Amino acid sequence: MTLSHMKGFALVLLAALTIVAACKKSVAPPPPAAVTPPPAPPTPTPTITLRAQPATIERGGSTTLQWEARNAAGVTITPEVGNVALTGNRSVSPASSVTYTATATGPGGSASDIARVTVNVPAAPPVDNPPPRPNVTSSSLSDNVKDVFFDYDRAEIRGDMIATLQANATWLKSNPNVRFTVEGHCDERGSEEYNLGLGDRRANAVKEFLVGQGVAANRINTVSYGEERPFCRDQSEKCYEMNRRAHFASATP
Amino acid sequence: MRKTITVAFLFIAAGAVVATSRPAQQITTGTDKGIVGVKIAVPEFQTTSSDSKSTALAAAFNKVLWDDLDYSGGLTLVSRSFYPVGKFSGPADIKPQDWTTPAVDAQFVAFGSIQAGNGTMTVEARLWDLKAAQNREAIGQRYKSDDTEEGARFIAHKFADAIVDLISGGRGIAQTSIAYISERTTGVKELYLMDYDGNGSQAFTAYKSIVLTPAWSPDGEKVAFTSYRRGIPDIEILSRLDHKPYTFDRPGGTTTTPAWSPDGSKIAFATSRDGSDMEIYVADWNGKNPRRLTVSKGVDISPVWNPRTGREIAFTSDRSGSPQIYIMDAEGTNARRLIDEGGHAVEAAWSPDGQRIAFAWQKSRTSNFDIYIHDLATGRNTQITHDAGDNERPTWAPDGRHIAFESSRAGARQIFSMVLDGTKVRQLTNTGKNTGPAWSGFSK
Repeated sequence: MTLSHMKGFALVLLAALTIVAACKKSVAPPPPAAVTPPPAPPTPTPTITLRAQPATIERGGSTTLQWEARNAAGVTITPEVGNVALTGNRSVSPASSVTYTATATGPGGSASDIARVTVNVPAAPPVDNPPPRPNVTSSSLSDNVKDVFFDYDRAEIRGDMIATLQANATWLKSNPNVRFTVEGHCDERGSEEYNLGLGDRRANAVKEFLVGQGVAANRINTVSYGEERPFCRDQSEKCYEMNRRAHFASATP
Repeated sequence: MRKTITVAFLFIAAGAVVATSRPAQQITTGTDKGIVGVKIAVPEFQTTSSDSKSTALAAAFNKVLWDDLDYSGGLTLVSRSFYPVGKFSGPADIKPQDWTTPAVDAQFVAFGSIQAGNGTMTVEARLWDLKAAQNREAIGQRYKSDDTEEGARFIAHKFADAIVDLISGGRGIAQTSIAYISERTTGVKELYLMDYDGNGSQAFTAYKSIVLTPAWSPDGEKVAFTSYRRGIPDIEILSRLDHKPYTFDRPGGTTTTPAWSPDGSKIAFATSRDGSDMEIYVADWNGKNPRRLTVSKGVDISPVWNPRTGREIAFTSDRSGSPQIYIMDAEGTNARRLIDEGGHAVEAAWSPDGQRIAFAWQKSRTSNFDIYIHDLATGRNTQITHDAGDNERPTWAPDGRHIAFESSRAGARQIFSMVLDGTKVRQLTNTGKNTGPAWSGFSK
């Protein structure tokens, strides 16, 4: 098709469109002409949607906020999240039930959406609160509170360690003036940096178990040593297993 | 010690092209910039006297200059066995046609002389563009320092960087430093600094505790690291020059793996301070105004910023079961996993241009860790270490061409560096066990 042909075609098309428009006009006549010229098209108003999935979590769990804003220059989510991009998602872990509000603002105004997150709080276990008993020494802590061992790359309490931990909890509850530190340790395999995190998880898993057994949380410090303080320095599976442990120390580090 | 060295930049030949150590200065040499492998001849610098001290200083200077240029990754050094016979210390000694014959075929020649005495060492150093019709001298400088081996190394690094800046298409890293963790003296992990080539190691802490995970501030003036000095690990910051400590808030909980934002105003780190497991936070670089970025069951640790944009943070998380690298927006939003394959993928290091992430990957429980480069545009992973032992903790040189890492290939863990293509591997440490390298930015 040559350029002149195309021009001709375009003219025909334009004429056809004009006819169609004219036909429509004849079917639905336009409203009477306004006295004032029509206003400029308004700046579109922002819109925003915010969802929380799931909407109900257990305390300590997390939920994902997901949002999408249009015609906005910025989005702010409260509480805690702050200024964010126009669309996105983010994981949150509120300690108690909360309503998140996302506000989109732009030249055309602002719009908000809310998402309610319900947090189920478990009933707190009974906490020991008897009078302090003197004369408990660190040696009695190490005599009575045994180390807890973990599987490779895991921080969950092993089934065969529950009896040990329960015995530890029993002694700790009957010696309530003892403040202690749970040290999380790892074997030398795996990333040194990641092992700092894994040791921290192990220490906190033990703390959580003890708190669940009724040991007061404010008696328990945790520290991760990662792979920095091995108990055994051979490169053997037996040695690695000994090093994957939570150890109890009486002194606050 | 380095502070005692003075370097004078004098223009030593009439008509010499003005050159300073500032890499921003461009000198037209008739050579296209960006050529990789441009050929350079480097005959040994000559001493003006033959006393043993001068000879020793010249030997040190010549070795360091050669190694710096060879290691830069952008130059091809012509073997000295092809050079014309003679000694070459001044302009009168260089006949360009002798260096451009097919046997040598050099584009550039670097040469000069060394004079030592009265506690001072003076090096006259020149770089000639052999194929230029006129204004052959691309660099002509006189450097001065103490007449010590350290001074000789320092001048060689300066001159090497000036050459690399000018003709290699990159920037010289010969004056950069590497911070690392060593157990060589006190038997516990302390922070050390060394030159980029492994020389000049110095202990930076003597805490007799545990020090881990050093990170340079972008201006190279401060190092942040993890310290167990107070029991619970927290973040400490020391000034490089005078070891002055800066405070970083420590509200409790294991706190580790600091990472500076590219503008130096913030630090991302991992902490369990809120009583849950490790999460990524960002705070002002004094620890004020902390803001939690991650919320996930499991470990979130080892954050690093996209140094180009400062708008994204890569980190390690075991939210999927085993540790993997994720990238999120700097506000904590839109976390996405970097690679879909399994194993342990950890210790992300973001390239200076923001386009690649180096990381350590153990593909299965029985395999070793090796260093890989993930190209963010293509998603391709390239393995760059293939040696025995674990290879971990990659850190980029500021030129984006070199990587340092720790490896157990030679027994106890040591720090190595290499060009990104896997060539020119150097073992930088030998004594004791040395880990966790962090390469500084360009020196000012």
